[in-house]
Amino acid sequence: MKRRWWWLALCLAALPAWAKEYPVRAQVEGTLTLYSTLDTAVFEPLVVDFQRVHPGIGVRYENLDATPQYERFVREEKAGIHRADLLISTSMDLQVKLVNDGYAARHVSQSANALPAWARWRDEAFGFTFEPAVMVFNREAMKGRPVPQSRAELIDQIRRDPAFWRGRIGTYDISKSSVGYLLASQDVRHSSEFGALVEAFGDIDLQVEEHTATLLERIEAGELVAGYNLLGSYARARPGSERNFLLVYPRDHTLVVSRTVVVSKHAPNPELAHRFLDYLLSVRGQQVMAARCGLPPIRKELDGVYERLGVNESQIGVLRPISLGPGLLVYLDQEKRRQMFEVWRAILGGKR
Amino acid sequence: MSERVRSLKARLVGTMALLFLAGTVVMYLAARAYGLRAADLSYDRLLAGSALSIAETLSMDGARVRVDIPYAALDMLSAAPEDKVFYRVYGPGAKTVTGYEDLPLVPAPRPRGEEPSEVPAPRFFDAAYRGDMVRFVVLGRQIAQPGMRGWVWVQVGQTRLAREELAGELVLGALLPIALLTLLSLALAWFGVGRALRPLESISADLAGREPADLHPLRVPVPAEVRPMVHAMNGFMRRLEGNMAGLRAFIGDAAHQIRTPLAGLRAQVQLALDEDDPRETRRELLKIERNAARLTRLVNQMLSDAMVMHRAEARHFEAFDLVDVIKRAMREAVPMSGDVPVGFISSVMRAPMRGDAVLLGEAIKNLVDNAIRHGSPDSLGPEAEVEVALHAAGDGYELTVSDRGPGIARGDRARVFERFERGDTGAPGAGLGMAIVARVAASHGGSVALEDRDGGGLVVRLTLKGMQ
Repeated sequence: MKRRWWWLALCLAALPAWAKEYPVRAQVEGTLTLYSTLDTAVFEPLVVDFQRVHPGIGVRYENLDATPQYERFVREEKAGIHRADLLISTSMDLQVKLVNDGYAARHVSQSANALPAWARWRDEAFGFTFEPAVMVFNREAMKGRPVPQSRAELIDQIRRDPAFWRGRIGTYDISKSSVGYLLASQDVRHSSEFGALVEAFGDIDLQVEEHTATLLERIEAGELVAGYNLLGSYARARPGSERNFLLVYPRDHTLVVSRTVVVSKHAPNPELAHRFLDYLLSVRGQQVMAARCGLPPIRKELDGVYERLGVNESQIGVLRPISLGPGLLVYLDQEKRRQMFEVWRAILGGKR
Repeated sequence: MSERVRSLKARLVGTMALLFLAGTVVMYLAARAYGLRAADLSYDRLLAGSALSIAETLSMDGARVRVDIPYAALDMLSAAPEDKVFYRVYGPGAKTVTGYEDLPLVPAPRPRGEEPSEVPAPRFFDAAYRGDMVRFVVLGRQIAQPGMRGWVWVQVGQTRLAREELAGELVLGALLPIALLTLLSLALAWFGVGRALRPLESISADLAGREPADLHPLRVPVPAEVRPMVHAMNGFMRRLEGNMAGLRAFIGDAAHQIRTPLAGLRAQVQLALDEDDPRETRRELLKIERNAARLTRLVNQMLSDAMVMHRAEARHFEAFDLVDVIKRAMREAVPMSGDVPVGFISSVMRAPMRGDAVLLGEAIKNLVDNAIRHGSPDSLGPEAEVEVALHAAGDGYELTVSDRGPGIARGDRARVFERFERGDTGAPGAGLGMAIVARVAASHGGSVALEDRDGGGLVVRLTLKGMQ
């Protein structure tokens, strides 16, 4: 106990740049520690509303990238330092691995049971958003051109006019972005055209970035014409998104990622952690998240799938949610990753 | 009735419940073993399939082992949706190619790294890993490459949640009908026993509604199982009725037999009182004394007769030695004999038999008494002797009592066994002695016969069964 407080004191003293404190305004029940891949600003409304419901609970929010977050958490757990209460990540596969390796606590609640089956695993990992991966086009640059509605159409356009597309398509760097890796691995699994698409990308000098924001900025600036497999929620959250972007849900299939939350098995404040999780999955939490964070909710009670995304059903093909489960472990396999990266590097022509 | 016996219903249903409970426990253990086996068999197939599909992708890239785990390999295991999955590819030797490096090893007999000579079958085992019980499969593939030979192993594990659940379902599926059937059987037994015992209630109603002297047999229709009891009760009532008839007859006889001598006695006493001559008075008194003795004997015999009657019904049989009984009876009877010599001859040292020693003693006493009494007092001497003899005969004994009296005419012999009948001897007696002997012989399954004695006199021959 004494040791834990010592650590906390040390951490508070050396508050890192990515961490933000939401102090308590009423009688103190404790302070939750969240590790999250979501930008602090995006997540903030949820924390504020949570504290409205539970004024006694302080929240310490630490924003990290998915892989560093995973590595840091596992490192801390192995060292016997139990800091994080909850972990939120876009990287569904890493969250599944946490559960599989026994780092997660069981959480059973009515809200959790209301989630679709694919967004739950072992009552330990829960997906709480519904985020399709889309193709984002610069509206201005695409003027007068047919907008590709599927992977096949995109390949076709690249083949017809490689000069137009050269150096102007961007996607995640799968060796750095874990959500990019997750999406690519699911494309490999589901799409027969993905191989041809990657080949086409290789011919036109594919641009890769680690973060969604950088890619979106480059598209906004007209530097890029299109972004492939980006999380649509980020695009729609940006100011002037309607004016700048054209979002296409690939008709052949649209992958859906769900940000996944896990309660640490050795959470310092397990009771508060479960309360926060319950809030996050509750109708109220989901409503706040949809309205103020710009994140599409997963609870079916809120709205129809398409209204949530702000699009017509006719614009969308097959939605293919990535389901939480041991299958995701395959792409975390060291050998599998190495092979994926090898192929990736070969396509990029030794650029990276 | 002092011992409290639980109700038949409770006993039957209790025994059945215990039996069913024991049966259910045995069934549970068997069903659980079977359920676990069945669950393991079906999920082991999946596990082996997963490991095989990984093994299919094994290849060599120079000196490196390459494996490309198919998505389906781990995804097919989500047929058990809640179970964690662990895998590892290693070899040659202990070198991990990919997966969880710290998975539990295959237990003996084959330690890791040992090279089997042929393609081994997948090996399954359970081991604890990261706090869960995990079912593992290990299978090997031989690799042969210039400069590198050996075995590469694929190990895939899955926690046991789904297996336990399936086993539980199988057990429940097997046990639920049995449990329901058990409850149903117990309920049926409970009501069935009530129905089956209804005839007993009609019997008790019949008995309760009877007059005290009503000893007619029960006429209630009863099931086969209760019939022996009703038979026994009817038999008992028949004996009771016989007893009561005997008692009534005895009282009637006694009243009749005692009233007359008593009236005679009283008349004689009256006579004696009216007599002035002391010598006459003394003569009357002597007469009175003789009659009183006769009356005493009559009463004794009647009581003896009653006792014999009672005991013959009661049949308190036990083992005893007939020789002892004869000797004791003679000791009691002989002192009254005066000068008549009484002898006892026995061809056996001991004569064990079963019966009522008191009854036999009484019969023998009566025989000896009769023999002494009827042997004529004026023919004393060696010819007048009374002889008791015991011989083994077949599987039983023959007891003879012989005297030198006048004997009994052949035509009269049957009559002497009836009560209150005397031989025409004029000797004192109530006429009960031979009736008593006949009754005792009958109650012991024996017989009694009268014969002439060589050289004059009577032989009473009593035949008795032995020990068997």
